[in-house]
Amino acid sequence: MNLLRTLIFLSLLNVIGFAQGKKLLFYPIFNDQMIPPGGGTTYWISKTDTVTIETLRFYISNVELLSKNKVIWKETNSYHLLDITKPMSFLVKLKTPPGITFTQLKFTLGIDSVTNVSGALGGDLDPTKGMYWTWQSGYVNFKLEGKSNLCKTRNNAFQFHLGGYQSPFKACREVILDVIDKEGAEIYFDIARLFWGLDLNKQNEIMSPCKEAVELSDKLVKGFRSTE
Amino acid sequence: MKKLLLIIPVSVLLLLAFTLQEKYSFTIPQGWPEPNTDFKKEPLSLEKVELGRALFYDPVLSRDSTISCASCHLVYTAFTHVDHDLSHGINDKIGTRNSPALMNLAWHKLFMWDGAVNHIDVQALAPISNPVEMDEKIEHVVEKLQRSKLYPRLFKKAFNDSLITGQHTLKAIAQFMLTLVSSESKYDSVMRKHSKFTAQEKKGYDLFKKNCSSCHTEPLFTNLQFESNGLPQDPTLKDPGRIKVTKNPVDSLKFKVPTLRNIEFSYPYMHDGRFKRLQDVLNHYTSGIKQSQTISKQLVNPIILSSNDKVDLVAFLLTLTDRKFLFNKNYAYPRNIFAKAAQD
Ligand code: HEC
Ligand code: HEC
Repeated sequence: MNLLRTLIFLSLLNVIGFAQGKKLLFYPIFNDQMIPPGGGTTYWISKTDTVTIETLRFYISNVELLSKNKVIWKETNSYHLLDITKPMSFLVKLKTPPGITFTQLKFTLGIDSVTNVSGALGGDLDPTKGMYWTWQSGYVNFKLEGKSNLCKTRNNAFQFHLGGYQSPFKACREVILDVIDKEGAEIYFDIARLFWGLDLNKQNEIMSPCKEAVELSDKLVKGFRSTE
Repeated sequence: MKKLLLIIPVSVLLLLAFTLQEKYSFTIPQGWPEPNTDFKKEPLSLEKVELGRALFYDPVLSRDSTISCASCHLVYTAFTHVDHDLSHGINDKIGTRNSPALMNLAWHKLFMWDGAVNHIDVQALAPISNPVEMDEKIEHVVEKLQRSKLYPRLFKKAFNDSLITGQHTLKAIAQFMLTLVSSESKYDSVMRKHSKFTAQEKKGYDLFKKNCSSCHTEPLFTNLQFESNGLPQDPTLKDPGRIKVTKNPVDSLKFKVPTLRNIEFSYPYMHDGRFKRLQDVLNHYTSGIKQSQTISKQLVNPIILSSNDKVDLVAFLLTLTDRKFLFNKNYAYPRNIFAKAAQD
């Protein structure tokens, strides 16, 4: 069933891939497994413990294409909300001019500080998207919710809402990847990184900017890679 | 023929009126600093302000349509909630802070007693989502507005788009709040040399400049900073103040300095509404101050005021009342908009 869903997900993304411009295709993975659209799938994090992913949503912003360490194209108004319940959101279409080739891709996981203090914004940044803190201004960069037998919480639930734009709790992170440009690039994002060395029993809820959110963001950002 | 000649320009004008937005001119009162809001980047428009006003007064923003922004921010009391020390929200639930008076917000950079909100646009999200205030979700508010008879039309006029978004909803509310300017008190008229203080008010003003204006700085009567004015922490509320946002110990027990404009009407006072009368406030400054690590340096040594001084100081504070502001019909319940909607 999982495999089938994964296949549908991938073919969906490839079918609509004929339009102009470079495409970035993000694959959310857990260790070596694809996380299929919809969520609700369970993964082992040790011989005895599991994690079920229910919500996975994050921002990719400030996309830049580089060649020979120089920026050759920069997306304007570059904010993309990727949401596991909306498979199409994992395909980011760029309005690049024809004839360019890039060797490196740069982007930010999350939303930069300037954007965070710019008032009410639209599109993927609209506060109705469920990625804006209401009682204390600021975007959630990365949201992961689910369950684990390790969490002695109600319904064994965990919630990680990582964000924060002010030092020392600034949590957005830049990523640079070497890529091979095949009219775009494929990027893998391994969510399992978040759980490395994490004691889910003790730490299972982050809902505001804090030191822990910064540390987890640092770990998580290493989960991006351009090869399988 | 004559009629036709008239009809053409009139209909052209009407057409223009529908397509062009009427600019709302925001005037900076004489002698005031530049506002924090950049009106060049984002000019106010009459349509947006009117829409924002409707939203401000509409309980549709709350889960069960019982509470509007105006429930806690009443125009006649400088947009605060009198008679309640802590705010009263949905199902009479009681909040943890006193609702501040709303005015001259275009000069503010951070909002809330602890500065948790970083832009006036996003301010409304806090009360809308707060379970003890309006207990609603902006996603759902937008759906309700879209389904209503009134709002798609008002949004179309204001934003040239009848598709309602969170962004546009918030911007409209913010635009209305930016128009709330109080600058016509007796104090202002004295500063503009249009009238004179009485001898008592003048004495009070001098005492004010000596003891209070470092924090309650003219002309806004707030320096917009976070300070600790030595209030002992309420043991039931345990409100930590600004440190809640910054997590920095130097911000412990600091709160945003409130304006003193219209202070006559914006009781009860302080973040938790602990004082009912100005006299109580002055007694705090002379004999109630609790020293702490973070207390502002101006208050390390006690403020000395005789009982006559206190009377004079209060007389001065009353010159900050701005009746034109309190009774400005542009800020009041937009009866015309809602009445028209009810007829349709
Ligand atoms: C249940 C009462 C209640 C309701 C309803 C309410 N507010 Fe408030 N408002 C408060 C309280 C209490 C505070 C202070 C909160 C804090 O500091 O944490 C506040 C603070 C504010 C501030 C910050 C002022 C400053 O100087 O920092 C603004 C602006 C504001 N409210 C606007 C609104 C708007 C717009 C709405 C409607 C969407 C609204 N309020 C609804 C109680 C309320
Ligand atoms: C060190 C800065 C500072 C000084 C000096 C100061 N204040 Fe304040 N004042 C504050 C702060 C901060 C608050 C809000 C405190 C809170 O609610 O926790 C406040 C609150 C008030 C309030 C309540 C306002 C409201 O809307 O709730 C009044 C009235 C007031 N001050 C009057 C005065 C007077 C009169 C003086 C001079 C005798 C004075 N203050 C001196 C910082 C100061």
